[in-house]
Amino acid sequence: MDKHQLLLWLSIALFSLGLLGVVVRRNALIMLMCMELMLNGVNLSLVTFMNQNGQPSGGVLVFLVFVVATAEIAIAIPIVLLLVKRKRTLDLDAYTDLKG
Amino acid sequence: MGFFGAHGLLVIALLPLIGFLINGVFGTALGGTKLGKSLVTAVACGFPLAAFVLTVRIFFSLQALDYAPIVEHGYRWALIDGHTFDISFYFDRLSAVMTLIVTGVGSAIHIYSTGYMKDDKSYARFMAYLNLFLFFMLLLVLGRSMLVLFVGWEGVGLASYLLIGFWFEDAANAAAGKKAFIVNRIGDAGFLLGMFLLYQAFGTLDMDVINAAFTSATVPIVSATLVGLLLFVGATGKSAQIPLYVWLPDAMAGPTPVSALIHAATMVTAGVYLVARMSGVFAHAPEASHVIAIIGVATAFFAATIALVQTDIKKVLAYSTVSQLGFMFLALGVGAYGVAIFHVVTHAFFKACLFLGAGSVIHALSGEQDIRKMGGLARKIPVTFGTFFVATAAIAGIPPLAGFYSKDEILWYAFASPSGGSPILWGVAALTALMTAFYMFRLLWLVFFGASRVDHHVEHHIHESPLSMTSVLVVLAILSAGGGALGLAHFLEPQLALPAVPEELHHLEGTLVIVSVVLAFAGALGAWFVFGGPASRAEGLQRTFAAPHRLLSGKYFVDELYAMLFAKPLAWISENVLLKVGDRKILDGTLNGIGSLGQFASGVLGKVQNGSVHLYALFVMVGIVSALLWSWTRG
Amino acid sequence: MGAVLMLVLREPMRVALALITTMMSLGAIYGFLGVHFIAAFQVLIYVGAVMVFMVFVIMLLEVREARGNKRYSNLAVPGAMVFAMMVGVLGISVWRAMNTGAPSASPNGEAFELVPFSTAFLRDYWLQFELTTVLLVAAIVAALAVIKVHRRVPDNRVSDRSANG
Repeated sequence: MDKHQLLLWLSIALFSLGLLGVVVRRNALIMLMCMELMLNGVNLSLVTFMNQNGQPSGGVLVFLVFVVATAEIAIAIPIVLLLVKRKRTLDLDAYTDLKG
Repeated sequence: MGFFGAHGLLVIALLPLIGFLINGVFGTALGGTKLGKSLVTAVACGFPLAAFVLTVRIFFSLQALDYAPIVEHGYRWALIDGHTFDISFYFDRLSAVMTLIVTGVGSAIHIYSTGYMKDDKSYARFMAYLNLFLFFMLLLVLGRSMLVLFVGWEGVGLASYLLIGFWFEDAANAAAGKKAFIVNRIGDAGFLLGMFLLYQAFGTLDMDVINAAFTSATVPIVSATLVGLLLFVGATGKSAQIPLYVWLPDAMAGPTPVSALIHAATMVTAGVYLVARMSGVFAHAPEASHVIAIIGVATAFFAATIALVQTDIKKVLAYSTVSQLGFMFLALGVGAYGVAIFHVVTHAFFKACLFLGAGSVIHALSGEQDIRKMGGLARKIPVTFGTFFVATAAIAGIPPLAGFYSKDEILWYAFASPSGGSPILWGVAALTALMTAFYMFRLLWLVFFGASRVDHHVEHHIHESPLSMTSVLVVLAILSAGGGALGLAHFLEPQLALPAVPEELHHLEGTLVIVSVVLAFAGALGAWFVFGGPASRAEGLQRTFAAPHRLLSGKYFVDELYAMLFAKPLAWISENVLLKVGDRKILDGTLNGIGSLGQFASGVLGKVQNGSVHLYALFVMVGIVSALLWSWTRG
Repeated sequence: MGAVLMLVLREPMRVALALITTMMSLGAIYGFLGVHFIAAFQVLIYVGAVMVFMVFVIMLLEVREARGNKRYSNLAVPGAMVFAMMVGVLGISVWRAMNTGAPSASPNGEAFELVPFSTAFLRDYWLQFELTTVLLVAAIVAALAVIKVHRRVPDNRVSDRSANG
């Protein structure tokens, strides 16, 4: 129990830190990496629960998260590339075109 | 006559309405052709005549019932909170008299109008409006409940407005129509208040029930004086008494048949009818009756003085009508209700005859209405002259014509009635009768006698009116002559009791009759003297009394006074307070303010979407926290 | 530890390295829990593919980036406050769940067995499996589209219509 609880605490920490990073950091790439961190945190909690309850559904979801994360990165980075080509900066505060 | 038997009164009222609908909807389409005009005429005159015939039949059945009132339940109008409002009709002696006059004289004037208005381009509209008026007037006199009466009351006001402003392309005519309607409305406020009080006290507006309640109850639930005064306010508006008479002279802007029908014979008598009908209330309201008598005689005197110097033939007759209505209210004020109604009837005969005769004169002179431009017409339009002469004599009170009987009874009761009669009232009334004779004969002389002052190009076209017009004139003249025989005051006595004259005054009756006859002849002779002789006498008189003459010609400047006291301040308030402040600032400001508020709020909220990803992510965080917190509070 | 470093480090390359270390340690944790299968995939996919890609892009874009930027966004302070709240809220949820929940089946977790897992995956959750396949196809298509746009840009250097592709 203690082990599981610790792991859950850890996953909370990872997730929150990732979200905080999305909020605080300026660089777009670093933001993407923080999102990866969030996903990792979630994965950890899923594995913990799978371990705790003995059911394989947690693992299935872990796999699906892997896939999604991969696909996401594969597309997000080219998008960032294109945007950077436009604005010539990685600073997210410059990207306020959807303002209004 | 199964259906008619059960709903005869309703049918009487509805017949002219049907005529109005047919003519109103189809009339203009038919109007152009000769055949079309005949159709319109047939409809317009046929329905009122049918109503008259039906009225006569029902009158005979009333007679057979020994004059027990016929009550017809028509239709339940509304049921609110346990209070019912019905449309029902009532036929007793008083209603019979009024209905016969309305349908009889009304039909006659319809026939006259076919001749008078036949060249007018809105002929069908005119006849339709006349029918509409008749419908509402019948509702007024046949209604059992004050509610039905009030519907008729307002309806005749509407018809009056439509007909006064009939030739509405001229703005002055439209303004006259508006004035009539608005002044009437002021009176109606009083009427409504009276009705509210009565309803609150008795829970019903049926007039016979209210009358019975007043006569039988020992302690009145509501002040009869207050109710009486309020109802009288309504009557002053409709029947042109002081202070609400100012619309009647302006109403002469309408076609002459309108003046005859509405402003002489029927509508203006609605106020008299109202007071007579509610005699139960007024009999128990001595202060209100005093007020009525005083205002009646004051109006009579006042209007007669103005009529002395008027130069438009119709205006003379208009002020004469106001004056005669004053006489009727004088009679009502001293408790002689039946006599007042008698005078209504005789007045309907001779005043309608006078107005229609004036219309005939105007028709003959191709539209001239100024009596200074008339004269010497007696030989040229003899039928008109003859009937006009008879009617003039009637109104002056020359025996044995109808006007003598009714006016004399009014003077008698003004003197001798125990409920308010006094020598002062009699004196003023007698003086007014003298003036009445004087100005009516003045009119006669100036129009029909003497050297012709008519414009030359008009003179060539002088012609007698067509048969449709002259026949009606003759009939009305005969009625004016012989109408006195009806003795209506005594006919109505079982229903409307005549005041019981104290014994000691009875011997004076004969004396007073003689005095009134003398006054009538004196007035006639005086007029002959002043106006029948060379023109210099009249002019000399005018120069001597220049200042009073100016005052009277200006109608005592009452219209100007009203404008200054009421119209201008109201207009100022409307413009400055209500328009600038109320409408623009408050209403528009509020609506615009709400719009601006919306815009402002959206501007504020819009700042959320500033395009910054960081902010959005922060919101995600905040969302998670709040969702969890919220789920905790839900347990 | 690595996670905290991620937030603090200035240069992106170093941030990437911190993330790599975090992921590797996660893989180790998975190993300790007995799910070697997932640990393997973690290292293989995440570290081996995703992070390599990221490092590559960082190196690619580093040349263009101007130095001297501020590190944190404008929303740092409110972000920190909400972060604290969130940690607290989540932590309390977990604490409550843990203390009031029924004791789990086994304190140490069952040994992870591959065969039941795979069969369960492909039998009970086949739909999700297929959907992920679709997702991958979509990702490939999107990547191709991006490449095409990317290629078109050098042709139109005069007018700036690249983003409309």
